[in-house]
Amino acid sequence: MDFTQEQIERYSRQIVLKEIGGIGQKKLLNSTVTVIGCGGLGSPVLYYLAAAGIGNLKLIDFDKVDLSNLHRQILHFTTDINKNKTQSAQEKLSLLNPDVNLEVVNDMISPTNIKEIFQGSNFVIDGSDNIPTKMLINDACISLKIPFSIAGVIRFNGQIMSVVPKEKTTCYRCVFGDIVEHESSMSCSQAGVIGLIPGIIGCIQANEAIKNILNIGDLITNRMLFLDLLKYRFSFIKLVRNEKCLACGDDAVDLVSTHDYKIGDACFE
Amino acid sequence: MRVLSENIDVIQKLDIRGKVCPMTFVYTKLKLEEMNSGEILEVTLDFPAALKNVPANCERQKLGALLEVKSLETEKESWLLKIKKI
Repeated sequence: MDFTQEQIERYSRQIVLKEIGGIGQKKLLNSTVTVIGCGGLGSPVLYYLAAAGIGNLKLIDFDKVDLSNLHRQILHFTTDINKNKTQSAQEKLSLLNPDVNLEVVNDMISPTNIKEIFQGSNFVIDGSDNIPTKMLINDACISLKIPFSIAGVIRFNGQIMSVVPKEKTTCYRCVFGDIVEHESSMSCSQAGVIGLIPGIIGCIQANEAIKNILNIGDLITNRMLFLDLLKYRFSFIKLVRNEKCLACGDDAVDLVSTHDYKIGDACFE
Repeated sequence: MRVLSENIDVIQKLDIRGKVCPMTFVYTKLKLEEMNSGEILEVTLDFPAALKNVPANCERQKLGALLEVKSLETEKESWLLKIKKI
């Protein structure tokens, strides 16, 4: 594949980078990234991945744009209220970079459709707003051996970790497996969230995808990054893999087809 | 910088007259990436700042080493850079 003059101009500042060049840019253009959620995290993720020239983006969301979303979900405008988020996102992203092939899934991911949707992805990004969905994404990606990034935001805080199944890095279930089965979590709608925190965390998730595709730098694996934007505390917490983890451990089972994730039981916004 | 290079065969040519920085380096880089180590690229350009920028970036990114700069007797001042792929 040769670059067009327009592509050389569009991606020139990335091609200049030692770590990317024309070779890396072609890798990006030939890659597929799946993003779950076109909301607070999904907006910056999709925006920067489309801009960077990730050739194929899969957008997944079942929700419609609500006025209360707009302070953080920067892909959506006031005129998009009540529109499907995937449609609103697709409209903006195709204007931003017509180079990118956008595939839209206007549905909730579930144990029955997740593997088919994720199949063929080079990287998966979780931009969902509830832990059961994050756990399902974790289990499906490990089963399919697709690297992925999981993040969460609330109030002025954000957290992010990546998992590379082929390298057997610590997974989300290793860390939170025991907690989430028993306790309910608080959502952004009840606790509140400052609009820019998913912006910052989402940008880091997009960076994780780009770096993993290009095989450059270090990912946030075997550790979790915590951001506290009130106190400006940025910290890494070391994570240890659970050898008995049901998703990635030595005796892992096919959770996606057997486990009751209770998706939908969680209190959505 | 001027190095004698009488016996080196020219393998690739790139005419980027009219291009300014950083596109001068972008086009040079894209060409060098396709070449094999030891091959020579002749770049014709007319943007004065590129005379320093292009070789400096090529060397910094270990893409190519400048062998020779020649001033060309064209209507608009232009130059020919000989760069060896690293």
